[in-house]
Amino acid sequence: MNNPEEVLQEEKSTFWGHHRLLLLIVLSIFIALGLVSISMALYNSSGAAQLDLSRPGYKTVTSQAVNNDGDFQDYSASGPLDTNAINEFRSVYDKQATKAKAVDAFSGDPLDPDVLDIGASSSTD
Amino acid sequence: MIAGVFVAVLVPAMLLAHASAQSAPMTDEQINRIRTNCVSTKNTLTQLHASDALLRVNRGQIYLSMTTKLMSRFNARAESNRANAKDLVSVTETYGSALLNFQNDYKTYEEQLSSALKIDCSKEPVAFYDAVASARVKRAQVHNDVVTLHQYIDTYKLTFDAFATDFASNGGTN
Repeated sequence: MNNPEEVLQEEKSTFWGHHRLLLLIVLSIFIALGLVSISMALYNSSGAAQLDLSRPGYKTVTSQAVNNDGDFQDYSASGPLDTNAINEFRSVYDKQATKAKAVDAFSGDPLDPDVLDIGASSSTD
Repeated sequence: MIAGVFVAVLVPAMLLAHASAQSAPMTDEQINRIRTNCVSTKNTLTQLHASDALLRVNRGQIYLSMTTKLMSRFNARAESNRANAKDLVSVTETYGSALLNFQNDYKTYEEQLSSALKIDCSKEPVAFYDAVASARVKRAQVHNDVVTLHQYIDTYKLTFDAFATDFASNGGTN
């Protein structure tokens, strides 16, 4: 006669033995959830989330994003270094530096409580 | 450069001091004002959130291209021709660090502004005010990073001019 533990174990294995498909589906769902969680953690921690303008709330500005900087001329990393090469680099660099410095990004103080009308000295009049 | 460091340290400190001063007990009038203007303030912040994200993407792309498509490439070309480009490489590395700071500081700012937007200002006006004040300090830091990047772009140009002068005076064998 089998002892109670063996009987219980046998019943368990019989249960999963009869529900292999269910086990497969459940395990698949948990593995998928785990992988999605890891992906989301990487998406948020890497800073990719901040660059993703396809997120809800950014639709108004998505079309204004520059998708390629094709007019940003690459300088060749190989070749001889002579006066022509130096002059060419100076010309390209000056052009792009002007473009890079053209916008004083994140200037101003739009989060000033008085600007938002939530400061101590603000007035709704 | 000293002026840049001065701005980078002093401006956030002043804003922080201002924000701390504002975190003193708020008057009922101010709390009521936050509640009254809750919807319009949130709309303004939502628009700012989106426009700043666009700014981050477009400007970040240009700042990154400055190093990957120009500085690093010229440095590599100079070194492959056995020219002394140590100063240029040094400036490029510093620029890279400044770019990393810009990216990290923007991330911190965006997270803070997002958390402020999640606060219900009609129910938690004080917490909302503090969150906006904190985002303000972090945004000022991002602007300082931009100023620093612009300064390093100029520094690289000056270093390049010195390199070019030295190169010419040595008959093209710097």
